[in-house]
Amino acid sequence: MSYKPFDADALIEAMTPLLQLQIDGAYRAGVKQNLKTAAKMAALVEQVKLPDDAEPAPVYRP
Amino acid sequence: MTPTSSAVEIAEQVRDGRVTARAVVEAALRRAHAHNAELGAFTDILDDRACDRADAVDALAHGGGNPGPLAGVPFAAKNLYDIAGLATRAGSAINRTNPPARVDATLIARLEAAGAILIGACNMDEYAYGFVGENAHDGPSRNPHDLTRMTGGSSAGPAAAVAGGIVPLSLGSDTNGSIRVPASFCGLFGLKPTFGRLSRAGTFPFVASLDHVGPLARSVRDLALTYDLMQGFDEADPAMTKRPNEPASSRLKHMIPGVRIGIADGYFAGEGVARTAVLRVGKALEASRVVSIPDAHAARAAAFLITMAEGAALHLDRLRASPDMFDPEVRDRLLAGTLLPAVWIERAQKLRRHFRDEVLGLFEGCDAILAPATPMLAPQLGQKTALLGGVEMPLRPHIGVFTQPFSFIGLPVVSVPVWLEGESLPIGVQIIAAPWREDIALRIAHQLEVAGVARAPVAAAFQRH
Repeated sequence: MSYKPFDADALIEAMTPLLQLQIDGAYRAGVKQNLKTAAKMAALVEQVKLPDDAEPAPVYRP
Repeated sequence: MTPTSSAVEIAEQVRDGRVTARAVVEAALRRAHAHNAELGAFTDILDDRACDRADAVDALAHGGGNPGPLAGVPFAAKNLYDIAGLATRAGSAINRTNPPARVDATLIARLEAAGAILIGACNMDEYAYGFVGENAHDGPSRNPHDLTRMTGGSSAGPAAAVAGGIVPLSLGSDTNGSIRVPASFCGLFGLKPTFGRLSRAGTFPFVASLDHVGPLARSVRDLALTYDLMQGFDEADPAMTKRPNEPASSRLKHMIPGVRIGIADGYFAGEGVARTAVLRVGKALEASRVVSIPDAHAARAAAFLITMAEGAALHLDRLRASPDMFDPEVRDRLLAGTLLPAVWIERAQKLRRHFRDEVLGLFEGCDAILAPATPMLAPQLGQKTALLGGVEMPLRPHIGVFTQPFSFIGLPVVSVPVWLEGESLPIGVQIIAAPWREDIALRIAHQLEVAGVARAPVAAAFQRH
């Protein structure tokens, strides 16, 4: 998967009511920039193909 | 005792009665007060507590008791370590109205049980989320080798205190590189142990999946001894190993016969001084192999995402209630972290195990891997961009590119300081070993120190008083 620009404002508008978060206008540019960086990072992670039985790292020990 | 005395030297003299712990600690406190305005190393200097502990060490020594292997050695701790009687601020404004800690963090208690004496709490990037050491509330820490430059972070004050000759050793934490980056910029030996080796109990968390704690020092002997004295199971940290203690300091001089050392290439090749320093260390160790670490870009990206998401979950209530009280740089990253899709984080955690398996396989062909600790020398305070690969890039997210992939999978790493000819600042090289083989990384670091390839002097301006 490659990184494609996306509408960070739409993501913020959709998610913040659910999380009961307010993202003040003064913070928005910084948050959007960080979301774009995160999306590029996620694209890098998805480039590594893993099998269905790949186990996530944390293992719960009862 | 002088600012350049090692912990081992101080402890020997206190045990032999040649100097009192009180005199050593008073001198360290004087240096801390005298230099803190320029170094920005401490947020709290603990005069009364330190003097009381010093008197107790002296009373024990004078009464014929054993005051311990670190008798009278002053040390400092990043202010995310609990210190009884102080609110654990973790570099924030918000936390300083919390109730004071009731007891000391496990590692502080263990060092003091060995005779060491805590003299202060150190400055750091807010909530440990940064590599620059520029705290928005308490001001920046400044690099003792050049006060116009960054210490690096987030264990910024602990590095300034040791490189500035105030104390011979300090405690930091390392989630993505926060011990190894300031060790590189300030020219110190830093140990990030294997994930789960040392207790995090009584430290303010950041990313539970990735948080490590460890020491910084000016000699490998001090680093190894401190590490040894802090080992041991602690049920208060759920990530801790139940392995028996595996002391390293008694084995420093025992080099591994036929030790196989690889130099990481590709993603880790580095450029300029970072590359030159790795090659110099490699030559001194007769490193004959080149090691290709697959998927390092993706590993670093996964560490980045896990950090954002877990950090955001930790701070969600504070982000709701008082976002304006955060450092703006930290706040915006954490707010973005609240919005990441869960599938990204799950994929990142799956990649973590996959990457671990790939890298562990490399240790079948070598005992240790060399890589740069930072891509550059200490940047100027306030610097926002850096030239990397000929391209101007934002500085902050790129300082940790070489450290993040190894903390991601919890490998033990010693960062060793190298001074290249013609440079007035040091740069670190990472010695990365297989899990639970801190001893190998420390023995190699010691070999480099004995050979004069790695050295960690007190900064020239702070050597005399």
